[in-house]
Amino acid sequence: MKNDIFNFRRFGKYFTSDLRTCVANYALSLLTMAVLTPIATYALISGFAYLMGGSWEGPGVRTRAFIFFMMAVCLVVTMPVKCYGKLTEKQYGSFWLTLPASRLEKFISMIIITCIIAPIAGFCIYLGIDAIISAIDPTCGEGLMATGINYFRNAGEFIDEIGGELTLNFGNEKIPVEDRTLSMDILRQMNNPWLYIDDFFAMSLPFLLGAIYFKKGKTVKTFLALAAIGTAASAIMAPAMKEWAMRIVESYDADMLVYNMFNSGLFRHFALIDTISDTLVNLAILTGIWFRIKTLKH
Amino acid sequence: MIQIKDLGFSYGEKAVLKNINMNLEEGRIYGLLGENGVGKTTLLTLLCGLKKPQTGTIDVDGCKPYDRLPSFLSDQFYLSDEVPAVNMKAEDYAVTYGKFWEGFDLGKFNEIMEVLENDPHQKMNKMSFGQLKKTYIAFALACNTKYLFMDEPTNGLDIPSKAQFRKAVTKYTREDSVILISTHQVRDLENIIDPIIILDKQDVLMNATIAEISEKLYFDYTTEKVEDALYSEMIPGGNIQVYLNQTEEESKVNIEALFNTVLKHKELIKGIFNK
Repeated sequence: MKNDIFNFRRFGKYFTSDLRTCVANYALSLLTMAVLTPIATYALISGFAYLMGGSWEGPGVRTRAFIFFMMAVCLVVTMPVKCYGKLTEKQYGSFWLTLPASRLEKFISMIIITCIIAPIAGFCIYLGIDAIISAIDPTCGEGLMATGINYFRNAGEFIDEIGGELTLNFGNEKIPVEDRTLSMDILRQMNNPWLYIDDFFAMSLPFLLGAIYFKKGKTVKTFLALAAIGTAASAIMAPAMKEWAMRIVESYDADMLVYNMFNSGLFRHFALIDTISDTLVNLAILTGIWFRIKTLKH
Repeated sequence: MIQIKDLGFSYGEKAVLKNINMNLEEGRIYGLLGENGVGKTTLLTLLCGLKKPQTGTIDVDGCKPYDRLPSFLSDQFYLSDEVPAVNMKAEDYAVTYGKFWEGFDLGKFNEIMEVLENDPHQKMNKMSFGQLKKTYIAFALACNTKYLFMDEPTNGLDIPSKAQFRKAVTKYTREDSVILISTHQVRDLENIIDPIIILDKQDVLMNATIAEISEKLYFDYTTEKVEDALYSEMIPGGNIQVYLNQTEEESKVNIEALFNTVLKHKELIKGIFNK
């Protein structure tokens, strides 16, 4: 009997064809963003610096990190619409729905390509070009990738022990912590890649849902929906937040507040709390995508 | 075999199909005819699983189409009236997607493309609408599926291509296949569709083979006018008239005249063919 739910061979075939279609639809846009953005940033900022100050100076790490973040946002927003937005159109959607692969196979392939393959491809190309520019022109400082690696490698430097007092260092900010176990806990949690990966899923998935849910104005409607949900969530959480905010206003002691926050039981488990909340959001959106695929009709 | 029982579907308040009952048997090419908006495309999309029946059932060899199970989908193909112009060469498209249908034959695809005088190495988004349609027709036939649903397949085809299409459909389909072709261009398919299904608003007016039609209706091509003709139309060189066949004489069925006769005498025709 044939397996109509999930079959590895059929999934392999489907995934390959899905990837091929996405490459045909989106590769050029991705290359334009990932290759041209770092080169254009470098050329514009260096040229501007030369014209204004007479010296050749490439964009610094912070500027390039900001541009990289903007490129990542553009990729997350545009990719699902370009690759899967047409499923709501009769001519593309009819073929896709009647393509002999199971719903689960189509769903998994969609998630892997949107949340893993496209971002990794875009980021690798961007960071590779950035590394080449940084290697050619030392005025740019080190490449973004090297900066990121060094950040995690030198994580130990975030802790200082001065006069028997432990502090966590965030730039010039030094926050006292009560014991080494807690500081190491916080650092270990900050170095956990999943803390950032699930955030990335949480950024990508709403735009995928928007791409297959809305028939027109997919990106704008997704932003509006996110704004509406954000507003509703704020309104629901307002009573709880109000009490906390009032404590800040009334205490007037920001240092004590930050100290309390870092030394509270809540912060000790912040990675866990963040992961649980992101996972819940991601599961909700994944459920939405699944039901949209299941109920899509033409 | 496809069994349709009490099928109903509506768009909001507007009922399109109501209590539709029919069986579609193997080894036949059904022609689905009807005026605009009577639900021909809706029926096709229900049969291939793109829509969910609101009432009644569709049973395709024990499967419900809307479940869209791969085992069911791999034995059917739906050719929509609007086809996507993807950014791929026709042959690459066939290679990429053909592997999902167990019976797909790339050699056959290229052969049909040749019959239809279409270039498989051309990019599909650079093709004219007619060329694109021919590519999808070639792909649909090369999939070798048991169930083939085609919505207005000859729309956009030039005159030679329509003849090539008829040739391809008769030559490249399976003996046991059930083919359902919806069309307004009855002359394009005159010699290949049999039986003929005529849909009316929320109803099936006729589901009969050419032999049954010829047995019950007489198509007269003369210059003389017959008073009790059900339908009469002037054509170059005389008239075509349709009347009840009381002499059991055989005649060549003219589908356009049949269609107009059925629309003019709905209840009478329903009564004759539902006996």
